[in-house]
Amino acid sequence: MTNPLRDPRDRRLPRVPEPCALVVFGITGDLARKKLLPAVYDLANRGLLPTNFALLGFARRDWDDVDFAELSREAARQHARTPWREEVWERLSGSVRFIQGSFDDDAAFDELARTLGELEGSHGIGGNAAFYLSIPPSMFPVVLKQMQRTGMAESTAERWRRVVVEKPFGSDLPSSRELNGLVDSVFSADDVFRIDHYLGKETVQNLLALRFANTLFEPVWNGAHVDSVQITMAEDVGIGGRAEFYERTGAARDVLQNHLLQLLALTAMEEPVEFSAEEIRTEKLKVLRAVSVPTDMERFAVRGQYEQGWLAGQRAKGYRQEDGVAEDSRTETYAAVRLGVETRRWAGVPFYLRTGKRLPRRVTEIALSFRRAPHLPFAPTDTEELGHNQLVVRVQPDEGVTLKFGSKVPGSVMEVRDVAMDFLYGEQFTEASPEAYERLLLDVLLGDATLFPRNAEVEASWAVIDPLEEYWAATTPYPYRAGEWGPRAADEMLASEGRAWRRP
Amino acid sequence: MSTLWDANGSAIVKELAAQRRTGGAVMSGVALTLVVVADEDQVAEAEAAAAAAAEVHPCRLLVVVRRQVEAPAPRLDAEVLVGGRLGPGEAVVMRMYGRLGLHAESVVLPLLAADAPVVTWFHGAPPDHLDRDALGVIANRRVTDSLMAPDHVAALHRRAEDFAPGDTDLAWTRSTFWRSALASTLDAVVGRRGGPVRVLGGQLLGDPENPTAQLVAGWLSARCGCSITVEPGQRSTGTKGIETVVLTLDQDEEVRLTDDRKGGAVISQPYRPDATVALPKRSLGELIGEEMKRLDSDEPYREALEAATGVTGLAQRSPVREHHWFDPMRPTAPPAPTVPADSRDDDEVAQTGTGDDDGGDDEPGAAE
Repeated sequence: MTNPLRDPRDRRLPRVPEPCALVVFGITGDLARKKLLPAVYDLANRGLLPTNFALLGFARRDWDDVDFAELSREAARQHARTPWREEVWERLSGSVRFIQGSFDDDAAFDELARTLGELEGSHGIGGNAAFYLSIPPSMFPVVLKQMQRTGMAESTAERWRRVVVEKPFGSDLPSSRELNGLVDSVFSADDVFRIDHYLGKETVQNLLALRFANTLFEPVWNGAHVDSVQITMAEDVGIGGRAEFYERTGAARDVLQNHLLQLLALTAMEEPVEFSAEEIRTEKLKVLRAVSVPTDMERFAVRGQYEQGWLAGQRAKGYRQEDGVAEDSRTETYAAVRLGVETRRWAGVPFYLRTGKRLPRRVTEIALSFRRAPHLPFAPTDTEELGHNQLVVRVQPDEGVTLKFGSKVPGSVMEVRDVAMDFLYGEQFTEASPEAYERLLLDVLLGDATLFPRNAEVEASWAVIDPLEEYWAATTPYPYRAGEWGPRAADEMLASEGRAWRRP
Repeated sequence: MSTLWDANGSAIVKELAAQRRTGGAVMSGVALTLVVVADEDQVAEAEAAAAAAAEVHPCRLLVVVRRQVEAPAPRLDAEVLVGGRLGPGEAVVMRMYGRLGLHAESVVLPLLAADAPVVTWFHGAPPDHLDRDALGVIANRRVTDSLMAPDHVAALHRRAEDFAPGDTDLAWTRSTFWRSALASTLDAVVGRRGGPVRVLGGQLLGDPENPTAQLVAGWLSARCGCSITVEPGQRSTGTKGIETVVLTLDQDEEVRLTDDRKGGAVISQPYRPDATVALPKRSLGELIGEEMKRLDSDEPYREALEAATGVTGLAQRSPVREHHWFDPMRPTAPPAPTVPADSRDDDEVAQTGTGDDDGGDDEPGAAE
């Protein structure tokens, strides 16, 4: 027992990180203002930040500490999840610093290193710091080299230094290897946290609880009972102002490679030996390595691109008409693919993954569709309306679980029809759903890597995506109208095997 | 929302079902039932707090207000709400008159969410014996508030004597931020040393009459294995009760946390500049919300209570409480009557003939 006041049974006391500093590169960006700063405030408000904590912002803009404090205050106030308490912010703002400079400016980084050293004494942060790279990946090399030059990246026995990187982690296997190699050459592998904010969602963590804490689901969680799995991430928005980024990336690299494959891994993985970062990552990696791509790419790997249409009562532009998009662009805004998981548990079960922009609604879900009963004692006309039993894990919005099964229609004749039983996560445990960034940021400061994919997982994911991209490189995406559930070819892909997409 | 005058339990169950049907799928399931026991003059405050807590942990909310036990005829008025003023879930506010108040569980039992834990919160001066109230006995978790008793420290002592696993007190809930600040201060010392810390002694300056201060001192004593008591401080501390905590550590070091009276505390520790930590004042609703978060028994509270009051053997108490019939109309019943009461002077309701049957336990001999 190192701290007599810590008691594992005392679960009222929150896990609070050690004294530390959070350094954000690209603090003026959208993500920092809308997610990071509010998350820092929410953490402080919930009493989850250490007493000695400092926040440093680094950006090119010509600001001083006062401007920065004001901007942070506004950002936090506007987007915070928890009620605003001025006194909490005041306490936090006392340790907020801004450092102005460009990333190739040696002097600015020396200044940053000096400020960190100063805060170590004046704010008692004990030398611990997490660096959040909220910047485009093309800037990574220069920033990382600067950190290496100034010695900021070294973890020692007395202090930890961690780095947080956002997706995309590369654009294919070779580039991701290069990026990982670069980050790992500056930081040690254990100190690198790759943020996939989907994994910070309560429901994703609940998927593990659902599978491994219950006896009800695990016996049917395999190819003997599951007919197919559909994992969907649909967005109703277009590409917004990110044309330049999106033209280079496309839906498969933007979403399929990280979010959807991570959800697949969590759905298909075996039970980890224990609930620890290392064990969970090991099991996920095994699944990702067992993923097989279809041989008949033409039928089972479909790309789409939205055309103009109507969505939610408003006219929406087509992708090629968006600002900054080439008129003959062949970048996909929709991708659907049939993958297999070559393990004893899942052999023969298709995993249908799809993602797209300008689809009718924003929804992310994992749906397990079960096999039909081998024999039905009812007359065939009685069960015409009976579909497959389904278990749906809704990741967002309305986080929760739906179970779909057949039930008798009230009346004098026997007729069986599908009904849905809903568990709405927000309803029973609303408080337990902190914003994903809040959770992930706290985990970084605590050094808990359970919810962060490690580089081998990223590389295994690219190994799945690369052959698809290779095939797609020579094709043109199918068009679909904005406000539709994707191109016809995606429907045909399932229809050819006697299945249909679930309408989420 | 609908109000039922002079109703009975079945009418409430029916009305709830009817509102659930017409209101659509407001609530597809509840994780627990919160029973609030409050007096008429505090019911508004209790409702507001329960509604705030229900936002956080949606539950079925049952508010029980007992009025005029001496009223000649028992009567039940109920207000049934689904997704309204009292949070997103189903809520029933019941006012019970006459001797029905002594049998409130007869109305509450059929209203509990099926196979879900029950939390009973006594908003008001806590009862001396929780097992005299069937609403406490049916609960998995019983929440009292010593701060609402006329004599706080005596109330805390009562809690220890009456303790059963599953009991908690809001005086303890109020201490969470202080305790968290203390624990993370020692974390910082551990982090700096890279080795364990021992607490050799300490002092808590504050209001000795405050149950929260007493419990924090008890907690420190229990955790550190040394006696830490509450010494009267210089200033008034309000409901917080704590002004300064000083802990003497091994290696000749000392940490000190002082309330800065601006919603925070200043932490002084060796080799580090002073730092402040926010100790925001929490509303009653937030406190109840914290209580509803964990439903298992709270061992650290038990140990703190043991150390604060000097009552021992709490760990051996049975978590199962048995209801003991108690009639507040005759609180001064002789402790050990030799002659059981006969029908001549049994119950004033029996005399007025309202048909209220108190059951076989209703005899003075079973009062204790």
